[in-house]
Amino acid sequence: MILIVSTCRYSLSEEEFVRPIVEIVQDCGFDYEVRRYSERIEPSEYSKIIICGTALRDFDYLIYIHNFTQLIDYDGTVLGICAGYQILAKLFSNELEEVKKIGVYDVKVVKDNPLIDKDTRSYFLHKFSLKKTNELLEPLAMQNDEICVFKVKSKEFYGVSFHPEVLNKEIIVNFLRL
Amino acid sequence: MNVCVLYSGGKDSNLALLKAHEEFEVSCLVTLSPKSEESSIFHYPNTELVKLQAESLGIPLIMETCSDDEESSLKALYNALRKAKELYSVEGVVTGAIRSTYQATRFQRICDDLELWCFNPLWLRDEISILNEALERGFEIIFVRVAGLDRSMLGKRLNEEIVQKFAKMRSYLNPAGEGGEYETLVLNMPLFKKRIKILEFEIIGGEFDATLIVKRAELV
Repeated sequence: MILIVSTCRYSLSEEEFVRPIVEIVQDCGFDYEVRRYSERIEPSEYSKIIICGTALRDFDYLIYIHNFTQLIDYDGTVLGICAGYQILAKLFSNELEEVKKIGVYDVKVVKDNPLIDKDTRSYFLHKFSLKKTNELLEPLAMQNDEICVFKVKSKEFYGVSFHPEVLNKEIIVNFLRL
Repeated sequence: MNVCVLYSGGKDSNLALLKAHEEFEVSCLVTLSPKSEESSIFHYPNTELVKLQAESLGIPLIMETCSDDEESSLKALYNALRKAKELYSVEGVVTGAIRSTYQATRFQRICDDLELWCFNPLWLRDEISILNEALERGFEIIFVRVAGLDRSMLGKRLNEEIVQKFAKMRSYLNPAGEGGEYETLVLNMPLFKKRIKILEFEIIGGEFDATLIVKRAELV
């Protein structure tokens, strides 16, 4: 069972940021549940967790970041997309920087990984991201000086600052097949 | 939250409006009226009919005219949204964008510049499912422009048969017409208080690139 977490304050945003992820999970034939960021999740009930993105002006999920702290002890796999990337970065004690990026930009793979195997172009929609990480994370792909894909070293947790559901569905499919 | 809807009068912006109405207060509609059909961002045919649609909806309309080039279109959009913010205390913008990152990027940037939320409820939706949902929700939709489709489509009402035909053509046709293959006009939908009746029209253009110009219409 896959858990899909919405970080959207408004349900109209879920049409934009959650439904496309749900459809990819459905197309891959997996069972799933959708929960909201304001609910405390129990990760052990799920084999994989995807934390979706939200609107550019939406930061409500950061008020509820305590609902995600149990992820630190989770042994499954996690994909954090945009807002999910920010949540994972913060859970593992990284400071986000103001990096506003709206549109399609080049992405360069800097370390072999199971999600993204070659340089690509991706759709970005965020105001905060990482330019450097602490020792708990390792960069997997860069957009200029922004770390746009990272892995939590001790876990199968991945953060993606762009929206792979738009131009890079294969990243989500590769994650589901891990 | 008070929102405005980027409104072309076609199926996508009307479906986006209906979804916005289910969660927010739609305070106004925003329409750009390009001087010619070359605009890459906004619909061209029959933008004047949007005034009748707004009347039927009972929602105020902000309409801005713009030139063909991108810079003029974006400046007009910025000005229209700024008016929406000032006149109607709008905090968010709802669009019918489906798959164009070009379009979405520009809408998102302008909304960010104006400190407005941006909602795209049809984003990445399967195009056939959009057509089906519009029909299931009782939309009355006609074709008002074709580019690559036969001109005999003009004035025809979208129905299940046409949706099935588009589904079979999807390897070379965007079923939602997002590539400019066709444009639509909504004559009726659940939020309209009266439907639009076309009294007089003219078809201009060639066999596979033609526009239906509505000359007279009324609410009935």
